[in-house]
Amino acid sequence: MNETELAPHVAEIKKVLGDTVDEETILAELNRYLNDYHVEITAAKRGIIRKYGKSDTIATSNGVSKKIADLNGTETSVDLLAKVVFVTRKEITVKGLSKTILSGILGDDSGTASFTVWEPGSVELDKGSVYQFRSCYCKTWNDKVQVNIGRNGSITPMPDVSMEVPNSNISLTSSDVSIGDIREGMGSVNVKGKILSVEARKITSKGVEKVVYSGMIADSTGKIQFSAWHDFGLKEGDVISARNCYIRAWKSIPQLNIGDRATVDRIDEEIDVATTDTLRTVDEIVRIGGGLDITIEGTIVDVKSGSGLIKRCPQCRRALNGGTCTVHGTVDGVPDLRLKLVVDDGTGAIGAVINRRETEELTGVSLDSAMAVASQKGEAVVARDLMRKALLRRIRITGNVMSDDYGPSMIVRSAKGIETDLQAEAEKLLAEVEASI
Amino acid sequence: MTSGRPVHRETAWRVFANELNASSLEIKATEEKMPSYVVSHLGAKINRVLVAGTLTEKINGGTDDEPMWRARIQDVNGQFFINVGRFQPEAAAAMADLEAPCFVAAVGRVRSYTPQGSDRPMITVRPEHIVEIDEHTLNEWLLEAARSAWTRLRWMKQVVSVEDAKVPDLIAMGMTPSQAEGMLYALDNYDSMPDSEAYLKTIQNALRRLLPEKDVDFGFPEGVDDIPEEIDVDGSRSGATDKTAMEDMVLRLLEELDTDGKGAPRDELERRAEAEGISAIDLEEVSNSLMDKGLVYEPNLRYLKLI
Repeated sequence: MNETELAPHVAEIKKVLGDTVDEETILAELNRYLNDYHVEITAAKRGIIRKYGKSDTIATSNGVSKKIADLNGTETSVDLLAKVVFVTRKEITVKGLSKTILSGILGDDSGTASFTVWEPGSVELDKGSVYQFRSCYCKTWNDKVQVNIGRNGSITPMPDVSMEVPNSNISLTSSDVSIGDIREGMGSVNVKGKILSVEARKITSKGVEKVVYSGMIADSTGKIQFSAWHDFGLKEGDVISARNCYIRAWKSIPQLNIGDRATVDRIDEEIDVATTDTLRTVDEIVRIGGGLDITIEGTIVDVKSGSGLIKRCPQCRRALNGGTCTVHGTVDGVPDLRLKLVVDDGTGAIGAVINRRETEELTGVSLDSAMAVASQKGEAVVARDLMRKALLRRIRITGNVMSDDYGPSMIVRSAKGIETDLQAEAEKLLAEVEASI
Repeated sequence: MTSGRPVHRETAWRVFANELNASSLEIKATEEKMPSYVVSHLGAKINRVLVAGTLTEKINGGTDDEPMWRARIQDVNGQFFINVGRFQPEAAAAMADLEAPCFVAAVGRVRSYTPQGSDRPMITVRPEHIVEIDEHTLNEWLLEAARSAWTRLRWMKQVVSVEDAKVPDLIAMGMTPSQAEGMLYALDNYDSMPDSEAYLKTIQNALRRLLPEKDVDFGFPEGVDDIPEEIDVDGSRSGATDKTAMEDMVLRLLEELDTDGKGAPRDELERRAEAEGISAIDLEEVSNSLMDKGLVYEPNLRYLKLI
C-alpha cells in the first residue's frame, strides 16, 4: 500500500490514539508492519494501537469504511461513521431467552439505515450524537439494508465530529400510500385519511411521562391504528394528510406512527371510509403480515384439536390446560365453546379462532346443548359433531390477523356461511370464456 | 433473527381430476420441512387438493381395525383415486359411514406412484377429511374448480407470449409466488404445451352442470375421459414407512424443542408436528409408540421428553 492508500487508516488510528502520537509515527509504523513484516492491515492496526497506549481491546476493522448509501447489505465487516437519528432499547426473546438490544436509525450525509446492537452491554447511544461503528455486518430485509453490530463490533463516541443528516434524504424515501397497502418494513410513508377515533394515553418512556394520542385512521382501502407522539389536536372526523410517518408492527399488525419528523395538515376533502371490512385473499395477507378488520372467504379445510368444549380461567379467560391456568394455577374453569379452523381460499391457508357466539351461529350447536351431550356421551362426541358440521363449508370471516412462524391467523369477530349466487357467477365465467376462445 | 422461511400450510388446489391425473412432473422434497409437489400441465404446483364429486365406489382393503379404504370420486370429466389408511383416522371413520353413491368433498395431500411397467405416475389423494355434501355445495366446488382451471389456462397463454418471464413478472400478472413458480416449472419441464382443448372441455362440462338451461357449447362433446385401470397402492407398506418417518421426525422435534431441559412443551410440539404434516392424532399415536419403546417419557402432562 502506498501513502495515499494508507492515509485513511492513519487517520483512523489517530482518532483512537488522540494526541499521544503524531501521524508521521503512525505512518512509519504502518509501513513497517505492512511492508516489512507483511502483516495484514487489521492486525497491524491493532498492534499499533496496543503499542501506543490504548491497552483495552479495541476492535479495528479490516479497513473497509463506507457511507450508508453505499452499503449493499452483504457486508460482513464494515465501518461506519454515523449519527444516531433514533434509538430505542428493546427486550426481545431469542430461543426462549429474553435479551436486551438497541435498535434505531443511523444516518450520515449520504442516507439512513436501520441498525441493531445485539450485545449492547452498558453501551448507551444518544440520539443526535455521532459514533464510529466498527466491524458491522449488514443484511437486507424488504430490500432495505440493516446494519448490525454484533459481538465483534465496537462503538466509539465521536463527540468532536458533527454531521448533517439531510432531512431530504429521509423524506425522499417517504412514499404516498393507501392505508390498505401499508405493511411492516415500509419505511417512511405519507397517508391521507379520516380519524375514526382518538384518545390521549399517558405512557412512561425512558422514565419520562408522555402523552400519546392513539386511535384509528381510515381511507377507502382500509383502516389502521395510529399513535401520534405530539398533540396535533386530532379530533374524530378530521380528514388529515400526515407526512413522514413511520410504520411499526405489533404481532405483525402494522401500526402508523406519527412521530417527531411527521407533519400533519387538515385537508378539506371528503374521504370515503372503507366499509367496515376489506375482502382480501390469504396470499395478500401472507405478504402484508396482518391487519385489522380483514375479511376472507374460503373453505374450512381443517378443524384443529382444541375445538369444541373448553374451560377458561375465570380471572384471565385463558383456556385451561388440564384444569390449570398457566398464570393463575388450578382454578374452577368456566365452560366455553370455540372452533379452531384452517380456512383455505385457493391462494393460501389461514388459521382462524371462532368464539362461542359465532360457533353457535355457524354450527347451530349451543353451549348448553353441547354440555348436555358431553355429560352423556363425552366431550369427544361434541368435538366430532362440530367438526362434521363445519368441515368443507364455505365461510366468510372477519377479524384481526397476525402472523408468526406458522403463518397468519385470525381472531374472528364474525363468521357466516356463504351463499354463492351460482347462476350469476357461472354466467360470468361463461361469458369470460366465450369472449376469449 | 429467524432463518429460513416460515412453514406455511400448503394451499388446497381446486383442481379437476383430468388435470391432476395427467400430471407427470414431480418436485420431490430434497430436504427436511420441504413438501413434495406434483406439477400439472397447467402449472398447478400441488401438495394438497380440495376435491369434490360423486363417490362411486369404496372398498376396504384392510381390516375393520386397520382399514385401508380405496375409493373413487367422479367429477365432471374424470375420477379421483382416493386412499385412506389408519394415518387418516378421521377420514377413515368417515369412509366407513359413507354409502356410494353420494356427493362428497375431500381435502388431503396428493401422492404420486409409478406402477411397475408404466412410464406414467398414478396420482392418488389421501384425504384427512372427507364429508358428504349436498348438490349446491358440489356446484360451488365445480364453479371454483372451473374458475381456477380457466385462470391457469389464461395465465399460461399470457406467460408463453412473454419472453424469458421470471417469477416477479408472473406475480405482477396476479399470481401468488407459488402459482408463479409452478407455472414456470411446468413450462420449463413439460415437453409440450398443455392440451387446452381437454381443459376447456372440462370447463364446458362444469358450466353445463351449473347452467343446465343454457346451451353451453364450446364445440366439444360431453363425456368422460379415459379412465386408467384399477390401481393398487400398497397401503400397509407405505403406512409402515410413514410411521418410521414420523417417529424420526418427532424424536428430532423433541430434541430441538427441549430448550431448558424440561422437555418439549406439548402445544409447541403439536404445532411443529402439524407443520411437518403430522396431525395431532398421529402425534398421539407416535408418542405412545415411542413411550412404549422407552425412548421418551412424560415428565408431566404438558411436556414430552427424550430419555
